[in-house]
Amino acid sequence: MIELHELVAIVGSTSIVENVSLQVPAGGVLALVGESGSGKTTTGLALLGEARPGVALTGRILVDGYDMLGARRPRGLVGYVPQHPAAALNPARRVGGVLAELAAVGGARSGPDASAAEGRRRAGADGARQPGGWTVGRGGRAVAREAVGRALSAAQLATDRETLRRYPHQFSGGQQQRLALAGALVGGPKVVVLDEPTTGLDPVTRRAVLDELAALAAAGLTLVLLTHDLGAVRALASQVLVLRRGRVVEQGTASVLAAPTHPYTRELVEAEPRRIRELVEVGPRVTREPGDEPRNVGEAGSHTARESVDGEPGVTRGAGGGVPLLEVSGLTAHYGRRAALAPLDLVLPAGSCLGVVGASGSGKTTLGRCLAGLHAPTTGEVRVRGEVLPGRLDQRDLPHRRRVQYVFQDPHASFDPRRPVLEQVARTAVLLRGLTPDTARAEADALLTRLGVAPGTTGRRPAGLSGGELQRAAIARALLAEPDVLVCDEITSALDPLTQAGLMDLLTGLDLTLILISHDLPLVAGAADHLAVLADGHLVEHGRTATLLTDPRHPLTRAQLDALAEQEVP
Amino acid sequence: MVAGALVAVPTLVAVAGPLLAPLTTAQRGIAYWSGPGYPLGTDSLGRDVLGLVLRGGASVLLLAATASLVAYALGALVGLAAAGTRRRWLDELLMRPLDVLLAVPALLVLLLVASLTDRGVGMVVVVVAVVNTPAIARLIRAATLDAVRRPAAEAMLLQGEPRWRVYAVFVAREVARPLLADAGTRLTTAVYLVGAANFLGVGLPPGSADWAVLVDRNRAGLLLQPWAVLAPAILIVALTVGMNLLADDLTRRRR
Repeated sequence: MIELHELVAIVGSTSIVENVSLQVPAGGVLALVGESGSGKTTTGLALLGEARPGVALTGRILVDGYDMLGARRPRGLVGYVPQHPAAALNPARRVGGVLAELAAVGGARSGPDASAAEGRRRAGADGARQPGGWTVGRGGRAVAREAVGRALSAAQLATDRETLRRYPHQFSGGQQQRLALAGALVGGPKVVVLDEPTTGLDPVTRRAVLDELAALAAAGLTLVLLTHDLGAVRALASQVLVLRRGRVVEQGTASVLAAPTHPYTRELVEAEPRRIRELVEVGPRVTREPGDEPRNVGEAGSHTARESVDGEPGVTRGAGGGVPLLEVSGLTAHYGRRAALAPLDLVLPAGSCLGVVGASGSGKTTLGRCLAGLHAPTTGEVRVRGEVLPGRLDQRDLPHRRRVQYVFQDPHASFDPRRPVLEQVARTAVLLRGLTPDTARAEADALLTRLGVAPGTTGRRPAGLSGGELQRAAIARALLAEPDVLVCDEITSALDPLTQAGLMDLLTGLDLTLILISHDLPLVAGAADHLAVLADGHLVEHGRTATLLTDPRHPLTRAQLDALAEQEVP
Repeated sequence: MVAGALVAVPTLVAVAGPLLAPLTTAQRGIAYWSGPGYPLGTDSLGRDVLGLVLRGGASVLLLAATASLVAYALGALVGLAAAGTRRRWLDELLMRPLDVLLAVPALLVLLLVASLTDRGVGMVVVVVAVVNTPAIARLIRAATLDAVRRPAAEAMLLQGEPRWRVYAVFVAREVARPLLADAGTRLTTAVYLVGAANFLGVGLPPGSADWAVLVDRNRAGLLLQPWAVLAPAILIVALTVGMNLLADDLTRRRR
């Protein structure tokens, strides 16, 4: 169990967490909710007795009766699963060895299940392990192996030799998440802190992770979730703490989200993507063109647009006599010898918005990168307004590059950290539209302001902007090319829900052909008029959003929708 | 601070030393003797050690710097070519032979080449440069490949930036960081190899005023007149240790 008394975290002279007090019983699930910078992670790390460099902690933190700020805090009492598990796993080592080492270092404490206690007794009996030492005797090795097996099965991974001998990159995204969880469980902790455990997961994997966590809590493990996934909070949490700028704005049971009293909590709840049921019944939050009925992409398998888009002012933007804006035919792509995309055909009329959804590794990003010329397709063609675009970016001349623009997932990684944002954004207009640097800068400045980036911030380097602002700047950088097609690859997944909602509103208000790639079906369905579902590089289903949501044909689409429906509490 | 001083002292001695050297005693004395007129004593030939030390740094610095410059030029050429090509075989053709060179001890290469060709300063510079090239080429290749695949580089290409500009504006600065961290090791290796060549007598002629040559020539008198060996040795050590620390400092300070 956890007890926090007046936890305060201070950087220099400003406090980033103020007077947080709480109590969580064994088997309880505490959710810390708030946008980035709210102090979630600082509070979560404090439970481990850890603080980032420069952060000073005061107050009292008791876990299972031990003072976590004291000098003699026990190892392995609190497990931690970081937000991006791939970054936490050592790519150069087999997972079995790493887990066994963790087990040996942490000392196999009794886990959530009863069999662990037996393991501890045996560990004590053969006495082969020095506390904290790396030398593990024969008996110790067996105990460690046992602890690894227990941790893996608790995290719902296979425990066979073949699994243990794999490297982290040989696991899927969801499996890596479980692997990180197994790493946190292997020392037999009483409490596990999970940073955004469901971010970046497709609905099916997400549900599986939530089920695992629920089972662990039922077995007596105390969980702390740092998340902005309110669905996960509803499904799991027994207690909720809403943080804003280091202050507790609301604290209570899970019902806090159902009946928020503080305006900030209400804002958070309202920013959630609409649930599927609402989408079907009420329609998308933003209708792109009111009264502009079916703009069919064509059913899967047929290559032709069934309806012409002519005669729709403001949408067609000069699409000539029935020629679709974007045509993809027979597109395949490989990474080395591994196929990432099976032959894929897609037709998109001008002004439409296509949502591309699928599990991680399904080929969504590869499709987007092929369209933008960032990945050379093995076979097939990409045509924009009937003109074939070369596969490789090197072969695309400037007018080609102008036609398809791409917005990357991580806004900070997509900017040069050393040049001012405005200067970087303006380059598009200079290079692709031949404007003079001054005109380009003025236009970029105006566009950035229109997209909601405060004028004073754009002269800074990327590190001086928030993730949301920088992603808007990235969109501005792409839009300055006046592209025909804008590909957005998971552009909201690194952002909190409020920022996410703002960005989606911005995108749906744009007058151009959009391709939204995301694992987050509700988010995409709220904006896209057509959906394409990918699985293992195959386009398994493809059609109008409303049709696809109410009458899914493919079992995979149905599984995703079922997973979504289940997480939705009325 | 310490790093700066460690580099500054030998560098200052090497650069300003030749100007100050005429002020020291030019007259030869008794070998391995210390006394008035000879603050650091005399060497095996009875020459003033202080004068020799003041004159002997320029060759160390000049040879090591020249060799390093040539090595960085060669390494950048090979590394960028290997990273820039889309042809796998060209990459392999460029990098594999360097791996072989990397596996052979540098001193062995130096002595082998010295035994086959005329000994001399030019040979030492070429060998030291070539021996340092593989590590630099590999580092530049790896760092470049990493940088050009980042979203920031891809975004620049999509904006219509020509490839050379992406390299000049973004990749070069990304590569500079690991390169700078590694520079301490590279320069140290160059100083050490140039020193070793001169110590072993395959570089500068034995009578030269060069720190490494001095260490070699005065070894026999180490117990009689230790300063003849210690003074040049300390300067070489200070220079190499200082360069390593300085490179580490610079790397830490950037971001």
